[in-house]
Amino acid sequence: MKKVIKSIIFLLILCIFFYNIINIFWLEKNSISYFYEEPKNSLDIAYIGSSTVFCHFNSVLAYDLYGFTTGILASPAQPFILTKYVMDECEKYQKPKLYIIDIYQLASELNKYYEEVNLRDVTDAMKFSRNRTNAIKAFLEPLDLGENNPNYKSGDNYINYEFSFLLYHNMWKHLSNKNFVGSLDLYKGFLCSEETVQINPQKEYYWKEDLVKLPNVVEFPKENKEFLDDLLNYIHEKNLNVLFVVPPRLYSEGRNITLNQAIKIIKENGFEVINFNTLEDFDVDYSKELFNGSHLNVYGATKYTLYLSKYLKEHYDLPNHKGDEAYASWENEYVRFKNDFKVLTKKDFNKVLNKYSN
Amino acid sequence: MNLTSLVFLLFCIIALGIYFIVPKKFQWFILLISSIIFLFWNNLSVSTVIQALLVLLASYIFGILIDKYRDNTVKSKIFLVIGIAIILGQLICLKYTNLFSITINHILQLLHIDFQLGLSYFNSLVGISYYSLIMISYLVDIYRGACKSQKNIFKCALFMSYFPILTSGPFIRYNDIEKDLYGKHKFNYDSMCRGLVRTIWGVFKVLVISQRLGMFVDTVYGDLATYTGFYTVVAALFFPLQLYTNFSGSIDIIMGISEIIGIHLPENFTAPFFSKTLTEFWRNWHITLGAWLRDYIFYPLLKSNAMQNLTKKTKKIFGKKASKKISLYLSMLIMWTIIGAWHGGAYTFIIGSGLLQFLIMVLEDTLEPLSNKINNKLGIKKDVFSYKLYQIIRTYLLFSFTMIFFRASSVGNAVEIIKNMFVWNPWVLLDNKSIFTAGLDIQDFRVLIISLITLFAVDKLSRSGSVREKLFKQNIIFRWGMLYILIFAIIILGCYGVGYDPAAFIYRQF
Repeated sequence: MKKVIKSIIFLLILCIFFYNIINIFWLEKNSISYFYEEPKNSLDIAYIGSSTVFCHFNSVLAYDLYGFTTGILASPAQPFILTKYVMDECEKYQKPKLYIIDIYQLASELNKYYEEVNLRDVTDAMKFSRNRTNAIKAFLEPLDLGENNPNYKSGDNYINYEFSFLLYHNMWKHLSNKNFVGSLDLYKGFLCSEETVQINPQKEYYWKEDLVKLPNVVEFPKENKEFLDDLLNYIHEKNLNVLFVVPPRLYSEGRNITLNQAIKIIKENGFEVINFNTLEDFDVDYSKELFNGSHLNVYGATKYTLYLSKYLKEHYDLPNHKGDEAYASWENEYVRFKNDFKVLTKKDFNKVLNKYSN
Repeated sequence: MNLTSLVFLLFCIIALGIYFIVPKKFQWFILLISSIIFLFWNNLSVSTVIQALLVLLASYIFGILIDKYRDNTVKSKIFLVIGIAIILGQLICLKYTNLFSITINHILQLLHIDFQLGLSYFNSLVGISYYSLIMISYLVDIYRGACKSQKNIFKCALFMSYFPILTSGPFIRYNDIEKDLYGKHKFNYDSMCRGLVRTIWGVFKVLVISQRLGMFVDTVYGDLATYTGFYTVVAALFFPLQLYTNFSGSIDIIMGISEIIGIHLPENFTAPFFSKTLTEFWRNWHITLGAWLRDYIFYPLLKSNAMQNLTKKTKKIFGKKASKKISLYLSMLIMWTIIGAWHGGAYTFIIGSGLLQFLIMVLEDTLEPLSNKINNKLGIKKDVFSYKLYQIIRTYLLFSFTMIFFRASSVGNAVEIIKNMFVWNPWVLLDNKSIFTAGLDIQDFRVLIISLITLFAVDKLSRSGSVREKLFKQNIIFRWGMLYILIFAIIILGCYGVGYDPAAFIYRQF
């Protein structure tokens, strides 16, 4: 008996060490990893999608204005096929009153566009579970990425995705304080930049680049239609409250046509879609409000957040947690954000702020 | 199935779990089932089943016949010869046909004859070189009366295919292992702890040291146009260490698993890099192969009528002492050629791990009196640390040189590597960056240096008794601390997973 207890203690210590080491050996924490840090059933909204979510929607600013909490479950170029699994993961820990789904990625063909990292950003951040396994399989199994995708490195080896430590243990050479204390660049999953890049939409600067990557996407890709149908069935089945959004961005003509087809299907299923590119009372100044070709900077993101959060407050029954001790971390994160981005108090910007917040 | 893969880990957990759960009289049967699964893992075809059945039936049937006609020398000898011929025949057909074809093609080319033999690509079973020799020794031992034949064909199959030893040995003798293999074993906590410690140490050697060394060696040998001079020298010096840590690490894993089961296998290495001569080196390196060849080839050859006649004939011409040496060296030459050929069907193996070893050992033997004389004249002390160190380094350098052929893709490639070593560029070791461009960066080198110091310290300690026993005598905090360090060194610093070819065991192909 003494030997059994000794063995159990040895294994227990081993597991504790191992668990902590796994958490250190990450590329970097992302928005999805921060989602797990939120207390159970504390999120009012879950916002799912790609970089146009975590770069555009400032959840701590929305909290400061209206007091509701928004969990960002987004990752760079998040494949749309994974949306269902991310929602399922969210359902395990939170019971949000509303899901917001960014459908920008519906215009990307899975087997031509995505890289290994796009899957890893989602599933490596997810906790070990059957849902995670299903997400990995859903991404890998229907596709012959091995030969078709030049960026694909180890996709045929499912076990490398399931046990991501097989990849990340090599990170011992590149450990930094971020691995131990987490990234300070994110505010409850929101990533922000003050930088400004000037884009002239007339010259179709980004459109051209987009067209190179997606030369013939004018028809709604067959697989994407399947993914969307599957997601809509899942939402109906679970009876979830969902709002779909098309983020403000410069699109190629092909993408616009594709997204319009997607919007049509979603609306036919009885869901609402906000297309930020066609709204009359919302506009982005692409000469001032982008920090790279496709993402809003702090000015654009604030404008977007103000508009969307106001819309959400007006159209949905969302609680106001301001002053509640249990939500102090949201208050603290907003203060940190405000201190880091003092540029927001500039006079000319306040004009825009006033326009959308009144 | 790779010895350091997760699949093998799971396989062992399941196999050992079932082994200790089932009634003890069925334990050997679980081992047999596990061995069959291991043998045909990813390698199940009509051809491989026939290969295995051929060796099994030849060993089983002729083993019984030799045993039955033990009193009839002629009959038992005939059965022995037929049995060995079948086992050896399939081994030669599967492993050496191409070597013969290449040799004949070379000769035909030299003779300007426009005809070439085609090459064959048989899919041979894992461990074919091991189980073939093991079953030959089984037949010889029955013939010699050292053991009795196994009447149960399934038990005979287990002896042939006991799964842990299929990839890297060691060579087992029926007489030594019979009791353990078919015996009833109760789960023993202490044996499990000892077995696990040895297995973990083996995995550390393979994944942290050998794989890391391999990254440098593969980079340099894979691009001799870029990596010249001292790069090649370092690669040549690294390769024996890579080979040793890979091979002895695999053996540690195998011995550890067997120890958990309750099966005790013979040691295959005893700190070979502390040897002062190449002869001593081979007494400590792949010990069971050396012992096998000594008992089944070298001594029978030396005592054969042909050799006795040769000694008699040469005695008249060269004298008694020299004639004995001639027979000895000739037997050694045959044995070392076989050792070389056993390592693989290519001339690089025959030269690297055969003929060059023979040549150096003969030189060591013949030059020893001269060396002693010079040492005496110059007043060089032989029993001091510095002289022993010199001998150890000399042995390592000589072995490293022979291994250039072993590692090379062809004899021409080995010559190219040797030529490459004479390019003068010592600055690549001194400029603090060049050496770190050949597959290993500075952090990898740091890990390597610390790991190698640990390895040699453990090897040195092992010469004065079991290191594990010394560890188990320590307090629990130190003992567990060391184990945690070892386990996490493997998990974090091990070269496995994405981006690595997980432990393509160098000795596995044999």
